[in-house]
Amino acid sequence: MINNKLTEDFLGFGLGLRTAHFEHVLQHQPKVDWFEVLSENFMVAGGKPKYYLQAIAERYPLVMHGVSMSIGGTDPLNMDYLKALKKLANEVEPKWISDHLCWTSVHGQNSHDLLPLPYTQETIDHVAKRVAQVQDFLGRRILLENVSSYLSYQDSTMDEWDFLNALAQQADCLILLDINNIYVSARNHGFDPLEYLNKIDPKRVQQFHLAGHSDYGDYVIDTHDQDVVEPVWQLYQQALQRLGLVSTMIERDGNIPEFPALQQELKQAARLAAKHFPNLVTRTLTTSAETSL
Amino acid sequence: MSGSLRQLQHAFMDYLNTGSASVLQPHIVEQGLVNVDTRMAIYRNAYRVRLRETIETDHEVLGIYLGDDLFEQMVAGYIEQHPSKVVSLRDYCDDLPLYLSQQAPFVQYPIVADIAAFERRLLNAFDAPEAPRLSFTDLQNLPASAWPHCQLRFHPSLQLFVCQSNAVEAWQSIKAEQAPAEPDHSAHRYWLIWRGATRLTEFISLAPYQHALLIGFIQGRNFAEQCELMLAYFDAEVAPQQVLSALQAWFEMGLISRLDPA
Repeated sequence: MINNKLTEDFLGFGLGLRTAHFEHVLQHQPKVDWFEVLSENFMVAGGKPKYYLQAIAERYPLVMHGVSMSIGGTDPLNMDYLKALKKLANEVEPKWISDHLCWTSVHGQNSHDLLPLPYTQETIDHVAKRVAQVQDFLGRRILLENVSSYLSYQDSTMDEWDFLNALAQQADCLILLDINNIYVSARNHGFDPLEYLNKIDPKRVQQFHLAGHSDYGDYVIDTHDQDVVEPVWQLYQQALQRLGLVSTMIERDGNIPEFPALQQELKQAARLAAKHFPNLVTRTLTTSAETSL
Repeated sequence: MSGSLRQLQHAFMDYLNTGSASVLQPHIVEQGLVNVDTRMAIYRNAYRVRLRETIETDHEVLGIYLGDDLFEQMVAGYIEQHPSKVVSLRDYCDDLPLYLSQQAPFVQYPIVADIAAFERRLLNAFDAPEAPRLSFTDLQNLPASAWPHCQLRFHPSLQLFVCQSNAVEAWQSIKAEQAPAEPDHSAHRYWLIWRGATRLTEFISLAPYQHALLIGFIQGRNFAEQCELMLAYFDAEVAPQQVLSALQAWFEMGLISRLDPA
């Protein structure tokens, strides 16, 4: 049993809210516990995205997930971005806000990618200061997610899991643990994904991500355009055993299927969790008859 | 701030832009079956694919109009000249119309920049803030004495587009999966774009006097001043009626958000 958790209550099983599914979600109000929204998609003044977001926020718990904070960057934090993030948070009232442990831009130029950091104490000191600034500004702890990576730096002096733990501890932030990213990076760098799970600090893990990827044999790319593969499902079960019942969502950003297909995949996550936690209560696994009662 | 971290990030970004790996490469570890060049190339490829997809998505009709070869030439040239400085990819193509209006071979075909500019306006209308939409009754409810000095405030999605080509007609043809007409640069054309009450983006062509009227109200001219302006287009007896008809239509289209009686 995990004691001294710093994290919020278990939200259940969620999906990424994508444009293609706006209408379906509003019309059918599918049995999903919560949705994760990509913050940047809704940092527009108005229009259809905002209309649907507000309508869906009235019906489901939401969490906000961003890709542009560049928390590991060396340019000053983008205060315009943070103000827009805070404004959106005030409108949506998310359960929590997350971004990635990476850098995205330097010298005002944006890669629009989640670029890896060297795993050093110097990086931890640098990022922890910036996390403190962000948390002070937003008035809440944020979650940082481990990213998939395709290269390692000569400068790194520690393993990724030690870096993530140390950063979360020093910055007093929470962890969004992406199980697929662990798998992808393990394949690309040749480490044991179970060692990653064994070493991660359970107290700070507030959310899991699951996703599909593209396997090129010698390397794997985190594309979010495929179903979750069996080795990632197995790793997810290991994560449940080691880290406990953690709010879980499936990301899908390309080759997006109809909503019911994603719901089925989410049910798979919920069923696996129910095997380990028999008392699990989730809307994701209820039948129509149960909900109508 | 960490100097070595900043240097590393500069080297990485330079590599993404230029493909020149000499500064970044010594920082990367040789691992397993995948060599360092391939590892770095995964990131450069992803950067370029992401920008290319943004251009393709935001400028779908332009892409069809240009055809594959010219589209690829435009993408390569634009990405090379415009490393992304924007937070959101939504804004990445803002300079595309300008690029097309200056860069060979596109500069020879002004309609191409006009199609790109029209597609930017559609996106702006799509994303604009929401605002109330008044009805003609709201205007009628104003005391008659307030009318001459009344100013209008428009829905934020309203976009005006002026071009000297048949770009919008070509855009419509391609959307309808028909061949566009030959480029015609003989006259100015005026368009009004906005997001309607059902959140669909709409557009209509404007007569020159309608365009002048809209510009006048946007610039804060009141009803009396606008009637005077219309004397350039109509007889004195007809001018007020033309202003009133235009106003009625704009209310019905959901274009008016506020009335400011002076």
